[in-house]
Amino acid sequence: MTELTASPPDSPPVSGTRPAWLTPNLWWLVIPAILFILLFFLIPVLSLFASSFDKAMPGQITFQGNFSWDNYERIFTRSLYYTAIWRSVWIGAAVAAVCLVIGYPLAFIIARSLRPGIATLITILVLCSMQLDMVIRLYGLMVLMGDKGLINNGLIALGIISEPLPLMYNWVGVIVGLVQVTLPFMILSLIGSIRSINPALEEAARSLGSSRWHVMRTITWPLSLPGIYAGTLLVFALAISSYVVPALMGGWKVITLPIHIYQQIAEVGRWQFGAAVAAILFLTSLCAMALYIVALRRNAGGRV
Amino acid sequence: MSDIRLEQLTKSYGDSVAVDSVSLQIREGEFYALLGPSGCGKSTTLRMVAGFVKPTAGRIVVDGQNLTPLPPEKRDIGIVFQNYAIFPHMSVADNIAFGLKLRKKSRSEIDTAVRAALEQVGLTGFEDRFQRNLSGGQQQRVALARVLVTEPRILLLDEPLSALDKTLREEMKFWIKNLQQKLGITTIYVTHDQDEALTMSDRIGVMRAGQIEQSGTPQQIYEEPGTLFVTSFIGQSNILDVKCLEVKEHKATIELGGQVLQASTHHLIGKGTGAKLVIRPENVLMGQEAEAQGVPLLAATVLDETYQGAMLRYRLEVAGQEIVAERQNQFHLEKWDPGAVVRIGWTERRARVLPEDGAGSSSG
Repeated sequence: MTELTASPPDSPPVSGTRPAWLTPNLWWLVIPAILFILLFFLIPVLSLFASSFDKAMPGQITFQGNFSWDNYERIFTRSLYYTAIWRSVWIGAAVAAVCLVIGYPLAFIIARSLRPGIATLITILVLCSMQLDMVIRLYGLMVLMGDKGLINNGLIALGIISEPLPLMYNWVGVIVGLVQVTLPFMILSLIGSIRSINPALEEAARSLGSSRWHVMRTITWPLSLPGIYAGTLLVFALAISSYVVPALMGGWKVITLPIHIYQQIAEVGRWQFGAAVAAILFLTSLCAMALYIVALRRNAGGRV
Repeated sequence: MSDIRLEQLTKSYGDSVAVDSVSLQIREGEFYALLGPSGCGKSTTLRMVAGFVKPTAGRIVVDGQNLTPLPPEKRDIGIVFQNYAIFPHMSVADNIAFGLKLRKKSRSEIDTAVRAALEQVGLTGFEDRFQRNLSGGQQQRVALARVLVTEPRILLLDEPLSALDKTLREEMKFWIKNLQQKLGITTIYVTHDQDEALTMSDRIGVMRAGQIEQSGTPQQIYEEPGTLFVTSFIGQSNILDVKCLEVKEHKATIELGGQVLQASTHHLIGKGTGAKLVIRPENVLMGQEAEAQGVPLLAATVLDETYQGAMLRYRLEVAGQEIVAERQNQFHLEKWDPGAVVRIGWTERRARVLPEDGAGSSSG
C-alpha cells in the first residue's frame, strides 16, 4: 500500500503513462527470470564457447584452459565446413522466403477478416500444428513424402511417374520439413503487423484511384514490413539452427552445421571441436541477420 | 462539379437495417451535412457513396451516371477520414502525388500540382515531412490537399474535425467551408456535431435509425424542426405537453394549463389529442418584455436562476411543467429571484406544435 500513498491524491493520472503505483520498485520481479537465464542459458553456452578454445580431447567435457586455435583452424582449412555453412545459410533463407510467400496471404486474411470468430478459428488452426511434437509431425511428413509415401505411390498409381520422385533425404525434404515447423511463427508475426495497419489507409488509396493489387503493393505490403522482418528473421534463426529436421528429413545426407555439431559431440565425443562449430553457426547466423537488417534499413527509409 | 442523387439507398446486415431507403438529392456545389447520433447510419451512407460498402438496395447516381456497381477507384470521389489516413511511409509530397501518379501525369505536372495544392492548404515547404511530424490540423490539410489535387467530382468528409481540439476545430470549420465555396465542389459532410452542421452547411439531413428524419437549410432545421427527435437533437428546446384543440392552415390552437394559445404547425393533429409544444429557451419572453409584445401570458414560478456570463438562464414552472428561459444578461433588464411569480409568453410563430412521437402525419 505504500506505493499507493506515494502519489499525491489530487494529481490526475497522465494519460498514456503507467499508473504511478506500478512503476516504483518493481524491478525485483524480474530477478527469477534473470537468474534462470543466467543459470540455465548463459553459463552453459558461455562455457561451451570457452571450451571451443581448448585442445580437442575426446571424452573431455569441462573447460580445461589449454588455449589453442586448433579447432577453428580445422574448420577453416576444410572445404567440408565451408560447404556446410553455405548450405545452412541458403536453406535458412529459402525457408524464410517460402514461409513469407505462403504465410502472407493467410496472415492477411486472418488480420482483415470482418468476423472476429473466423480470425480466431484460423489462428487456432495455425497454433494447433504447434501442439504436436515436432518429431511426430516429421514422421507424418515421411509417410507423405517417402519413396513409398502417399505422394509417390499416388503418382505412380495414376501413371504420371514410373520411378518415385526424390522428395525425402535431400534439400527438398529438409525445406518442406522446416517450413512446416516454422510457418506458424511467420504467420503470427505477420498477423500483428498487418492488423496494426489502419484500414482507412487502404480505403483512402482505393478512393484515390488505386486498384486492390496496387493498394497491396504500395500500402499494405510496405506498412507490414516490420512484421515481415520480424517473421523472416525468426524463421531464419529457427531454420539455420534446427538439428531435428535436417536429421530426420535429410536422413544424414543434407549435412548442415547443426548435424556436424551433433556428430562431433554425440558420436565422436569431441566436445571442443563441436563447440567451435557451434560458435561458427552462431556467428554465421548473426552475420547473415546483420547483413539482412542493414540491407533492409537502406530500403525502408528508417521505418524499422 | 456534380450533383448527387441517392435513390432508396438501403444497407442491411442480416436483420438489422443500418440505412433504410434513403433518398436524397444534392445540388451541384452544395455543402450537405448528414447529422445524427452515432449508429444512425450516416457513416454507412457515406461509405456506400464512396464505394466501400455495397448497398443492399438502391442506387447512387452522380451526374446521371449510376455509380452503384463501380469499385471505389472508378468513382472519382474524394474522401477525408476522421483520422486523416495520411500514408505514414510516404512524405507529404508523395501522399499528395499518390492519386496523380495513378492518373499517369508527367513528373513535372505532378510537381507543379503538388506545390499548388500545398500552397492552397497553407502548407508550403512541408513537402518532405512525414505524417509523424505533422499536427492533427496539418494532417487534415494534407488529407484535403491529397484529395483535392485529383479534382474529384464529389468530396466526402467523414467527421473530419472530431479528432481536433476545440480551438483548432473552430478555425478549421470556417477554413474548410471557405475552401469548399471557393472550389464549388459538391460535398457531403458527416458529423454528429450540430454546431458544425449548422455553421458549415447549405443543407442538413438529420438522420435517425437509418432514415433521414428531416432535410433542410440550417435555418429550417433549427427554427422549424419537423419532429421531436430533430427538436431535441438540434439545440435546446422546451417540450411541453399540451392538448390540441384545432389545426387550421398551419396554425394550431392548443390548451396549456387552462389557457388557450396559438402556435404554428406543419402537422395534422386530431382534435382533443395530446401534442407537444416546442419552444426554444431564447424565445421565452419574461415580464415586461412579454407584456410589451402583447402575447397571451401565463403565470410561472421561478425555480432557479443560473448565471452564464452573457446569458441568464431561468428554470420556471408553468402549469405543473418545467420550462427554461434564456435572457440576455443586461443591467437594465428585470431579474427575478427563486420563488417569484412572473408572467411569461412567446410569439405565435416561435412556438411549434408537434404530434406525440410516432403519431400524426406531416402535411409539408
